[in-house]
Amino acid sequence: MLQSGAGESRRPASRRQRVGGRESGYAYLTLLPVLLIMAAFSLYPIGYSIYLSLHKEVLTDPLNHPFVGFQNFSNALHSYYLTSSLVSTGAFMVMAVPAVMVFGLLAALLLNEAFAGARILRVAILLPWAMPAVVSGIVWRWMLNGDYGILNSALFQLGIIHDYIPWLSQPALARMGLALAHVWREGPLAAIFLLAGLQTIPSDLYSAAAVDGAGRVAAFRRITLPLLRPTIVIVLIYETIVAATTFDLVYVMTGGGPADATSLISWYAYAEVFKFLDLGTGAALAFLIALLLLGVILLYLRVLRSDEHR
Amino acid sequence: MLSIETLVEGVTTGRVSRRGFLQGAVALGLSASGAVALLEACTSGTQGTSAADLTFVVWSYGVETIKDNIKKLEAKVSGLHVNFQDFAWTNYHDTMVARFAAKTPTDVCYGSDHWLSEWAAAGWLSPLEQKYPNLNAYTSDYFPYVIQGMTYQGKNYGIPYYADTWAFLYNEDHLKKAGISQPPTTWAELTQQSLQVKAKGIANYPVILLFAQDDPGSIEVWTSMVFSLNDGHLFDDSLNPLFDRSGSAAAKTIDWVASALNTSKILDPASLTSQEIPVVKAMESGAHTFTILETYNQAELNKSGSGPFSGKFKMAPMPGDTHNTVGYVRFYAVTDQLSKRDASVIKFGDDFLQYFGGKPDGAISPVVKRWAVENGLGFGWKSLWDDADVRKAFSTWGNPDMLRQNQQLARSKEGLTKYYPSWDVFTRAELQKAYLKQVSTTTALTAMADKWKSLKQG
Amino acid sequence: MMLLFILGPILWMLDSSFQGESELLTRPSHVLPQEPTVANFAYIFTGAIPQGLNVRGTLRSRISQEAREIPAALMNSAIIALAVALVNVAFGALAAYTFARIKFRGKSLVFNFLLGSRLLPAIAVAIPYYAIVSALGLLDSYVGLILVYLTFSLPFTIWFLRDYIMSLPIDIEEAAQIDGCGRLQLFRRIVIPLAAPGLAAAGAFAFMSSYNEFLFALLLTQTINSQTLPVVLSSVATNPDASLALIATSVVLAMGPPLIFAIAFQRFLTRGLVAALGKG
Repeated sequence: MLQSGAGESRRPASRRQRVGGRESGYAYLTLLPVLLIMAAFSLYPIGYSIYLSLHKEVLTDPLNHPFVGFQNFSNALHSYYLTSSLVSTGAFMVMAVPAVMVFGLLAALLLNEAFAGARILRVAILLPWAMPAVVSGIVWRWMLNGDYGILNSALFQLGIIHDYIPWLSQPALARMGLALAHVWREGPLAAIFLLAGLQTIPSDLYSAAAVDGAGRVAAFRRITLPLLRPTIVIVLIYETIVAATTFDLVYVMTGGGPADATSLISWYAYAEVFKFLDLGTGAALAFLIALLLLGVILLYLRVLRSDEHR
Repeated sequence: MLSIETLVEGVTTGRVSRRGFLQGAVALGLSASGAVALLEACTSGTQGTSAADLTFVVWSYGVETIKDNIKKLEAKVSGLHVNFQDFAWTNYHDTMVARFAAKTPTDVCYGSDHWLSEWAAAGWLSPLEQKYPNLNAYTSDYFPYVIQGMTYQGKNYGIPYYADTWAFLYNEDHLKKAGISQPPTTWAELTQQSLQVKAKGIANYPVILLFAQDDPGSIEVWTSMVFSLNDGHLFDDSLNPLFDRSGSAAAKTIDWVASALNTSKILDPASLTSQEIPVVKAMESGAHTFTILETYNQAELNKSGSGPFSGKFKMAPMPGDTHNTVGYVRFYAVTDQLSKRDASVIKFGDDFLQYFGGKPDGAISPVVKRWAVENGLGFGWKSLWDDADVRKAFSTWGNPDMLRQNQQLARSKEGLTKYYPSWDVFTRAELQKAYLKQVSTTTALTAMADKWKSLKQG
Repeated sequence: MMLLFILGPILWMLDSSFQGESELLTRPSHVLPQEPTVANFAYIFTGAIPQGLNVRGTLRSRISQEAREIPAALMNSAIIALAVALVNVAFGALAAYTFARIKFRGKSLVFNFLLGSRLLPAIAVAIPYYAIVSALGLLDSYVGLILVYLTFSLPFTIWFLRDYIMSLPIDIEEAAQIDGCGRLQLFRRIVIPLAAPGLAAAGAFAFMSSYNEFLFALLLTQTINSQTLPVVLSSVATNPDASLALIATSVVLAMGPPLIFAIAFQRFLTRGLVAALGKG
């Protein structure tokens, strides 16, 4: 590719300025490696996934792969596993996404101020996100342990609780524990994004508002929020997708339990393949999840667009 | 020359300062990772395995004993080299599935009766008669539940690593303090005694059970509770579900657990996420009075130094009507891959299997005996019960007659087919929902039956 | 307060890795180790099995060979993530520049195709990816994982860098073009130096997301030949037969590289983000 580039630079200047065909050649050449990889890993998987979802593919029945039409989809849709995992995922997202956004916003606002230790905090805040999600899961699972977890220890010694709580053994508390680990890990990224957004707001606006006698809360509502909206929306979409497809944390913290309370949608898809060894239904389920997510994103975008037109 | 050993030794004896240690550790760490990278590049990813290696995969129990056994075997058989890997017990099934599907070299691996049918049906394991027919000669000395657990479609697929039963264990000291002279013989009595223990403040939750959703033992605990009752069957002879009938033993068991968890509050809620080891540790610390564990854990509990109640843990027959319990076998399985390798490797495989679970040199494998004597693991060989060393070792932590009795009362799990593992995973979640009273017992059992039927239809 | 929340878990892990097994199980927990020991670190690096009941527990040895694979896994993760980052910066930047400055037929279609491919949740493409990588014979290899991670990271890199480059003043480039500079030379001599902070940010982001990826590393690797850190770590940590102290030690070792990396690149990340968002 470098050869062609070098060759191009030898061509006379007049030819190069032409827009359209000639540029397309260069453009596609530079995009070639990227496109090759992306095409191989998007078009083929979709095709193969479709194939899998339309056939019976169960690992314990290795010689029998009849075409079964939409039966896998029907299996996936009718399994009450699907409903319960959607409910679990929904419950988790309702807790996790707002928590992440609030944490991110508060942290961003905090970091935007200049104060002693701000620099340390700015570095420190990135640390949880820099680590694999599984680390977050492992650490929090340990800290939430009902027998020797340090959270219980601290609460107990502060007199807030009278006996150690087995956090991850009760469905509702387990979801909260999962959300906690999720916020610890994802919050910092939201904070960084929102901080970056905050920093693009010119400070003169705030000074002007102060001159006009507006209080901090009013300034926040009238200046910060509206100007931050685009960033907030980006972060919201991203965090929603991340929360909906959480897998790593479930794997190390709860394994889907107790009583499937934390069997999120990605976990269910994984279990379908690895525990039930049914690749056909697994593929069908994956399609359904993808469609669902696409729907959610389109919904978000529609809300965003209608907001912009207001 | 600087090495990790000298560094560590230096620090622990105070000769090297902390700063020096850190510097040395960093230097070693960097050079170590550099060395690793170099090694990696040189061996281009073959991890030092040669063509004649036997890859042996286990779950992580007693790893140092296994390594020692391997060392002894390698010294005995020249040219044999074992490539040894271990994975978590709770993840073992999924890990092996992925391994088999990717055809990662695996020659001998642990198996459990939970999964035998599934793996054999998928073609991942090879029956002994194919390459190791001489190992089939030992089955006459096995207990019935052992043979059942290793048979698929009439063929034997393994030699026992260990075979054991699920036992009802209790803390004798707790009972004495509560003024109870005999352990409970029925589940109602268990409830009553637990309430007494709880009332006296001896234990907040007298009962703890191994019900973690990811521990394959959890289904065995529940099944043993079902077996202990009259009509304690989950399936009939044609493998149709019996548990969803009203008034079934399964329903009674679930009701008991649900009531113990929610009403009388004698069962620790943490049971739902407690695997085997947390339960053992909790019992050791004296936090609970009653539990159901694998028999070898009585050895673990009574080992000196285990805690304030070391030596005080006793076994009683499973409470209920028949006192039956679950017997299981974990075994060495031969993979389909091994059966396709050269004759020389197959010969090594024979040496390995004989040494670890057969009769090398005519007497029962020293490995089997070692597990029994050192760790209290049960065994599949009937004749080993007469061994003096074994009896002596067992009597240090348990009552050999009680152990023998439990063995005779043990039955193999029912429904061991190629869809049992899937049904098992599904059922564990359903049972938890029923325990938590999120769904009624009937609903859960019906769901379990429906799942079974749909799996059976294929 | 926030600092405690964020750093707390990290410090607790560090603390725990120096405590022995039985010390870790006390109620209430010991905040400072009363009997510090480096036995677990020694095990991971040398295989010297921790002795003494207070460190390992009773009958069961509570060790797993897997913990000894952590240093190798660290190396795997580092190599793979670095490769992904480099390819991202090299080819991703080139592609981003093309999108930013050059008009060509089908531009928005291609761009949307690239971005849209990111919308699929990972689990939806897990099995097909596995099939492709397996068919190419790349299971359990660096290249397989690198390819897969590239498909994840390139879209974001290209989107991010396109915005970043668009925010750069175009006058310099136009001036250079008039002077007779070819597109590629332009790219190399002018754009790259100008966009350096953005490139660093994109590279850092690609590195981090590849390093931390778990699901596909789990699916596509089998042995320590290519298993990355999150996979080995989660395997050790969810193993009830591994002593807690051993787990803590593994976590501490795992935390090392990302921490160092994050501290080093923190400034680039924030600056790059501000630039991209400010004009986006």
